[in-house]
Amino acid sequence: MAIEPQQAAAQRPMEQIVRRYPPEQRYLLAIMQDLQKEFNYLPREALGLTAAHVRVPLGKVYSMATFYKAFSLTPRGRVSLRACDGTACHIKRSQVIIDELRKCLGIQPGETTADGEFSLETVNCLGACAIAPVLVANHKVHAKVTAAAVREIIKSYGGRVDEPVGN
Amino acid sequence: MKIVIDGIETAASPGEMLLEVARRLGVRIPTLCYHEAFGGQGVCRLCLVEVTAGEVSRLVASCTYPVTGEIEVRTTTPEIERIRRHIIMLLHRRAPGSEFIQELYREYGCQENVPAPDPDERCIMCRLCVNACEAVGACAITAVDRGTDKRIDTPYGEASPDCIGCCACAEVCPTKAIGVSRAAGHYTIWNREFELERCAGCGRPFTSRPCQERIARLSGQELSGAQLCPECRKKQAGSRVALSMIP
Repeated sequence: MAIEPQQAAAQRPMEQIVRRYPPEQRYLLAIMQDLQKEFNYLPREALGLTAAHVRVPLGKVYSMATFYKAFSLTPRGRVSLRACDGTACHIKRSQVIIDELRKCLGIQPGETTADGEFSLETVNCLGACAIAPVLVANHKVHAKVTAAAVREIIKSYGGRVDEPVGN
Repeated sequence: MKIVIDGIETAASPGEMLLEVARRLGVRIPTLCYHEAFGGQGVCRLCLVEVTAGEVSRLVASCTYPVTGEIEVRTTTPEIERIRRHIIMLLHRRAPGSEFIQELYREYGCQENVPAPDPDERCIMCRLCVNACEAVGACAITAVDRGTDKRIDTPYGEASPDCIGCCACAEVCPTKAIGVSRAAGHYTIWNREFELERCAGCGRPFTSRPCQERIARLSGQELSGAQLCPECRKKQAGSRVALSMIP
């Protein structure tokens, strides 16, 4: 299959990131972290380039990419909301937070809003159990979050929230 | 060194896996994730046995337990049967579609299980298929996602260019979870369709082209001309030997 000029242009920044590392398997994770940081997700072509660069079968690269919660195979929203559902947060009723996020944004964990603004994910532990339940919005950690705080956080990022009836 | 399995004394070399010693002795220990080609994985836990060394007794997975000293082994005790039954119930809940699991479920007289999330599921996630795929050098299938979403699949769930259609994955699967749909002249596995090549001798379809190419490469030969199926190859070799014996 011939590569369209447009496609080739899109691949260049990916290639630059991939080529920052020597072609060895041990750099696989580091390359994927850089790609995720740059593109906010792991584009399909980028995974192919990475696999070819470090000489690891695509299946293994894909397996790793789907294993770590830090990676996403679909574009994440402008605001990435990551709700911790680890043991400590779970006991501190993180489910209430997740339900509120679901209700406010109208998406399930793992999805992105249709306007590309917000994406919601649950993570297994952020290592900040003392301030549970924790919600991370674009790398900013919000401690001891309540349902009301969730609405405020969404609003602070320009999201529209319907106020609950009767409050 | 001497070990005793179910009252029978036998010799084992140090480091030898307990399951292999038991098999050699003819003692039956049920397994799912064990395969001679890959050794023990300790995934399914069905091969649980009781090992007594001196005063201490404990339960171990015999497929990953290397013999390092004089031990006494019991492969069935009420305790083992109870735990094994429990493991089978868990496996049955995960893969109720597998006939092999259903048989074990009946054989061990399991109580009624809670409804399964997927009544057609057959995979127990033992990864034998992934090992087989890696061993043939394809690596077309791997574990995808994690936790309760984990499954065996090709990248993006699409036909993989790395798959050679050898069906080794379907062959080693203990629960027949990997489907191969066959039709006249071709077959489909992991969403990829393969044409069947015909044997130059008997004319029967027997394998895929990518498979032949891989075998040729692994054996350091060039793939040239007509290919024979294993049976015709055997016959050819046999007649060659027979002819060479005629003075």
